Amino acid sequence: MRFQAKTISKGVAKGNALVTHMPISFTGGVDPYTGIVVEKGHELEGQSVAGKILVFPSGKGSTTGTWQFYVLYKRGNAPLGMINNEAEGIVAASGIITGIPMVHRLEGVNPCDVIRSGDVVTVNGDEGYVEIER
Amino acid sequence: MVPITSAHIAGNYSVMRDEGIEWLENFASELTAEGLKVAVFTTKNPEMFDFEEADELRVPEVYREKQMRIDTALRSIGVVLAYTCHHYLAGNLPRYGDHIAWASSGSQTYANSVIGARSNREADHVVLAAAVAGVIPEYGLHLTENRKAEVLVDVSNIDLSKLNDADVKAMGWVIGKKIGTRIPAIVGLPPDLDIERIKGLLYSITVSGAVGLIHMVGITPEAPTVEAVFQGHPPLESVEITEQEVIGAYGEISSASDEKVDLVIFGCPHCTIQEIEKIATLLEGKKVHPETQLWICTSQWCKTLAKRMRLDEKIKAAGGRIVADVGAASGPYAFLKEQGIRTLALNSVRACYYSSGLFGMKTWLGSTEQCIEAAIKGKWEGTRG
Repeated sequence: MRFQAKTISKGVAKGNALVTHMPISFTGGVDPYTGIVVEKGHELEGQSVAGKILVFPSGKGSTTGTWQFYVLYKRGNAPLGMINNEAEGIVAASGIITGIPMVHRLEGVNPCDVIRSGDVVTVNGDEGYVEIER
Repeated sequence: MVPITSAHIAGNYSVMRDEGIEWLENFASELTAEGLKVAVFTTKNPEMFDFEEADELRVPEVYREKQMRIDTALRSIGVVLAYTCHHYLAGNLPRYGDHIAWASSGSQTYANSVIGARSNREADHVVLAAAVAGVIPEYGLHLTENRKAEVLVDVSNIDLSKLNDADVKAMGWVIGKKIGTRIPAIVGLPPDLDIERIKGLLYSITVSGAVGLIHMVGITPEAPTVEAVFQGHPPLESVEITEQEVIGAYGEISSASDEKVDLVIFGCPHCTIQEIEKIATLLEGKKVHPETQLWICTSQWCKTLAKRMRLDEKIKAAGGRIVADVGAASGPYAFLKEQGIRTLALNSVRACYYSSGLFGMKTWLGSTEQCIEAAIKGKWEGTRG
């Protein structure tokens, strides 16, 4: 399946999806030294975002999330690519400063509904689409 | 692009870490090499400590060096080291309708929702670029049509006069979860809601939600009526908030189970002089438990006022301290953790979330009165109410 999407950050990444219906704060929500989601009660609590195509509705919380995302990236624990239903400025800037491919606004669908954790997903920020293989 | 009149950046060492300091130093040195600095008035959120208090707070040398590097880099590009999150009470006050670039999700929402200035939820990296360029892309909340409310949030079933200060913040947490990224119009708030409660609400909604503008109907300048704030569109959704949900939120926000409290810390957002006075009055004739510390975090400006009003003497006599330049959410825990501080009592949802998520602190959320009780007894006995 292929869906057109709006590019936030250019580049192409392919990997296994990690999907949540809950927004993510990279300050306080994810440990940048391990890549593990630490927010209490979060659907992804205890799971690592490292090396995944991270699919979530949007960012939330502190605007300092870009600093923590940068640490996550420098420590090798960042996701390979990101897909949001509707991006906000903090996660968008995180994708851009680290050069991690990121898209949002998939044509006609919510990515958190159509993508399942474990699917092999390509984020193409150069051409603006998402491809799902399962 | 649209010209901006004001900028504000948020990150401190607890989120920047060494990688962020290096990024900032590179950014600053590239700018200064070109003879560039910020083009508009730019202030900075709280840091880890005030250098004048570093010895008293037993701040290890390693953290002094890190904060010194951040200070030096920011100063070199002209960022005013205000080190407060109520910068709008201390000099960086935009006007209604001004376009600004503010990070700090709470303060930025205050600018949009109370002052009526226009800022998106910006990342520090974007704010720094905007501060140097003097302009910001004209998108999102800079445009009138994007400032319309999307979700109607009704709190009129809750008797706000019976809520304590922590309850109001717990209510904010509940609202934030329900709205996500959609701009709310909150109805049922009294128009004379005081500044501390307004801040409590805004600085909590923006922890569990991701909005930059929160219309409080009857309070927000652009929200005189529900009709006006939806700009002729119907709400995408209408939600009611119940007292049960507010009480239930405590269990999601507090993370402690150990009764012994190591630190009672106020000031997320930074305490106003009115809040410092309230705490000083509650502490009168009392003594903080010898195994518990009590901190009141605020701006240098309010610390000076507190000294002038002799409030610092009352607080010191009870065994507490006023700490400037530090926020209760994250700033000091890098070194406090090394001093054995684990369990906190807080009246702030925001500080509960970030101290726990960033530093693994165990937190109790309660009203100012309950937190003071915990400071005196050295342990948490509070339940809500």
